[in-house]
Amino acid sequence: MLRRHTHEAVLALVTLLAILVLSLQSDQFLSVANLLNQGRLMTEVALVALVMTFVIASGGIDLSVGSIMGLSAILLGTFWDGFGLPLPLAMLAVLVVGTVCGLFNGIIIVHFGMPPLIATLGTLALYRGLAEGISQARSVRGWPEWFARLGQGDWLGLPVQVWILLAALALAGAILGFTRWGRTVYAIGASETAARFSGLPVDATKLAIYAVSGFASALAALIFVARVSTTRSDMGTGLELDVITAVVLGGTSIFGGRGTILGTALGLILVQVLENGLSLAGVKGDGTIVLIGVVLIATLLVSTLTERRARA
Amino acid sequence: MTQTLTRTLPCLMGSAAILAASFAAPAQAAWTGGDDQPTSPLACDASTVAPDAGSYNGGTVTGAQPSDTLRVVDVPKLVGIGYFNATSAGVAEAAAELDGVEATTDGPAQANIDDQITLIDNYITSGVGGILYAANDPVAIAPVLRKALEAGIHVVGYDSDAEPDARQWFVNPAQFNGVAKTLMDELAQQIGADGSFAIVTSTFTTPNQARWIAEMDAYQAKCYPEMEWLETVEAQEDNILSFNQAMTLINKYGEDMDGLVGMTSVATPAAAEAVTQADLCGEVSVMGLATPNAIRPYIKSGCMEDAVLWNPVDMGYAALHVLKAAVDGTLEPGAAEVEAGRLGTLQIINGSEVLLGAPTVFNAENVDDFDF
Amino acid sequence: MTDLSQDAAAPRTGPIRRILRDYGHELLVVAAIIALLVVVGAINPRFVSARNMTSVFSGNAYIAVAAIGMTMIIVTRNIDLSVGALIGVLATVSGTLAVSGAPIWVAWVAPILCGALINAVTGLLVAYAGIPSIVVTLGMMAILQGGLISVTGGAWISDLPPEFLLAKMKVMGLPMPLVWAVALTVLAAAWMRLTPYGRSLYLIGGNAEAARAVGIPVRRRIVEVFMIHGAFAGLATLLFATQLQVIQSTTPPNLELLIITAAVIGGVSILGGTGTVIGASLAAVLFAAIGSALIFVNVSAYWLRAFIGVLILVTVLFDVMRRRRETRQKGH
Repeated sequence: MLRRHTHEAVLALVTLLAILVLSLQSDQFLSVANLLNQGRLMTEVALVALVMTFVIASGGIDLSVGSIMGLSAILLGTFWDGFGLPLPLAMLAVLVVGTVCGLFNGIIIVHFGMPPLIATLGTLALYRGLAEGISQARSVRGWPEWFARLGQGDWLGLPVQVWILLAALALAGAILGFTRWGRTVYAIGASETAARFSGLPVDATKLAIYAVSGFASALAALIFVARVSTTRSDMGTGLELDVITAVVLGGTSIFGGRGTILGTALGLILVQVLENGLSLAGVKGDGTIVLIGVVLIATLLVSTLTERRARA
Repeated sequence: MTQTLTRTLPCLMGSAAILAASFAAPAQAAWTGGDDQPTSPLACDASTVAPDAGSYNGGTVTGAQPSDTLRVVDVPKLVGIGYFNATSAGVAEAAAELDGVEATTDGPAQANIDDQITLIDNYITSGVGGILYAANDPVAIAPVLRKALEAGIHVVGYDSDAEPDARQWFVNPAQFNGVAKTLMDELAQQIGADGSFAIVTSTFTTPNQARWIAEMDAYQAKCYPEMEWLETVEAQEDNILSFNQAMTLINKYGEDMDGLVGMTSVATPAAAEAVTQADLCGEVSVMGLATPNAIRPYIKSGCMEDAVLWNPVDMGYAALHVLKAAVDGTLEPGAAEVEAGRLGTLQIINGSEVLLGAPTVFNAENVDDFDF
Repeated sequence: MTDLSQDAAAPRTGPIRRILRDYGHELLVVAAIIALLVVVGAINPRFVSARNMTSVFSGNAYIAVAAIGMTMIIVTRNIDLSVGALIGVLATVSGTLAVSGAPIWVAWVAPILCGALINAVTGLLVAYAGIPSIVVTLGMMAILQGGLISVTGGAWISDLPPEFLLAKMKVMGLPMPLVWAVALTVLAAAWMRLTPYGRSLYLIGGNAEAARAVGIPVRRRIVEVFMIHGAFAGLATLLFATQLQVIQSTTPPNLELLIITAAVIGGVSILGGTGTVIGASLAAVLFAAIGSALIFVNVSAYWLRAFIGVLILVTVLFDVMRRRRETRQKGH
């Protein structure tokens, strides 16, 4: 068990250590209010990261998630304020558009054989460009109370979006860990050719993964708009890097074939703990960025070396 | 392979031509880059209307706990540009002057709304007594600032405001229509009331810049109808990009362009550099918002006549004084003015805005008197 | 390496055909540049004026120079996301030395050496610790970016001595950046194509096992390639940071994406093993020309990024389809 999950074990240790050290630096760090608030702040990145685990475990990557988030935010404003759709319908439409954007990524990757890094580098520019073109730098404001609750309110003692996150976490963990579909994802990541020869539905699975990645980005956009109560075409800029950092820190191999939702969850928690805890301890933002970079490299270094020794 | 090439080449050239043509068409309507809020251009002559103090429309802080030292965090839009280095220096200066005040500056590395919100949220948790901010987005930042007020933290904005009820006071460096008037009047003096000009701004989504541009557009239509607004281009807060964009505008319009206006303290010196390198000093006028240190070489070389800005050091300085006054209770809703250390008495306008004063025009005579 | 297999597949070839075959992708980019110049030049002749051409070619030469190093990295099946941050750091190093009164040549050489040294760390982590380059460079990007602001506190460097401003100098009437970009591209292209060392990079990217089998020290080579790439980033910094009279202490936003995109549009396969530095340099020129052209033909700046996205997708699509057809032809 421990051997199979060396990375997760290393990561859990580092996270615990970080929590311990940081809680000594600040009394507020381990307070319930702060922890719940951190859950609220990390939801958008976490939702996208859960799906990104599938994408990367299947040997792909999706750089366009931040741009899909920006486009979705802008379209939510356009559908609701511009076209006068009822808000629930507009939200639904945005989720559909996000999914279609993801599906488009999938199609150019699967059917036209473009490398995922390049295909989504292209759509990163394309979707962001569409967001900018459609919005013409205008923001939509004045969201109804019930919608704002999605991003700012509480339900049964937890921030509303944390419930969504927990549900997504359970779902993603179950699918990747315990279903045939999850095993297909690993098989594709380990060797696409072998997966194809074993008769696994490679193309359909990849299409589905990218489509869900788009869906998650659109969902994150809804929550983010509700949290900040405005739309901007630059929303989600740089999201892809935060997401990839968390997933990779969580032990998902960038070459595919390996990675767990548990790891990603730990990666997300570690990054959030560092950002929050260091800030509370009085470290400035730029120092925190440096530390996250160091932790990313150091964790991977330790886990690679441990694994190598275990194998030897 | 040859076959592929002969087939793809015309495709590529054809598509380039089509794209170029299809994009050329809708461009006729000159794009100014202003926002869609209502404008209120000032009178064309020098007559001024005394701004209205109005009734207090700021927020209220609840449950503030008095303490011996007031810990204040100053959160600018981003760190790493000269302008906010200057505001931060002003905050530090005021902190040294005031008794029992500790102030630190911490901001996002890029002008990113989410990073700024997260940062403020963390400082609320850590239990600071006061927050100074320059908002990347007036609406997006509002919820977290309201949360601060509810947690008993005093909140004062400067440079870029949030929704009024999300903070107590806002130090307004200069009113939007006042800045617009000063810029356009100075520009008209240099390029004539029938001159043509182009604008280099940060991004079309930056609230202050979009607001100034909208006011400039309205003021120009009212007072200088013969002037021609060629176009507005984006250049982030990046000086190389600003330089390249300015150069491209110079190349595009040639002698048809009389003036270049920079809307950020990054864009203006970069535009001056472009005009210098194109050897067009005197033919293309450069002006805009800029810090004196950045434009000093161009004013000295005669390539620029003047630039406009308030003193960002004073703005940061005033912001902390206002915050301290709010904490001490010497500044209360309904006040018409506030004492701000070496700046003397500052006037309160629009309900809850502290007016820093009129923008300063930096030129060959006074540029050496400033250092920021 | 690719040449060998293709020679065997198509024995009857004249010189023109051979050029078309070996440099098909590069010629495509050249054709796109020419098409752009002709079309936009017809709409607004000032686009092809000497001054605008100078600013297009020389103002963006640093991207071409950085793309040379990036090409080598990608050819060996790696990637570097930290190059934009690295250029920001090196610019500050160079500028600080220039105003500190150190001899100018020190300020010029330092970024090249520092670039190589910093990237040696990256290379060691990639090659010997076995951490994927995308991860190491993601971490390095954060470290360099955050570190730069921590150290400088955001202060700009101004009052640069005029003799430091390399990018403003001219050689035989030609702007220095242009001369450098062309010279470095030609040298690097020749080196990669003609020397056994250069060719080994393609083998490492194409098939690392095979490279090891024929006795190429793969790990050491990867560290060395990262160092060479760092040196090129240093050279790019010299052209980048000396254009104006001030050096900003923040890293240029999205520069790494621009450099990677240039390498990829220039024909470097992200799967490693193929691609030339000439294509990457040309693609950097194409980008610069497009950026300028969009202003000239009055494309609303709002749609600019969408346009670039479409361009990336279309170019790569052409390339993917071309390669598919080639593989199929080879199969017959």
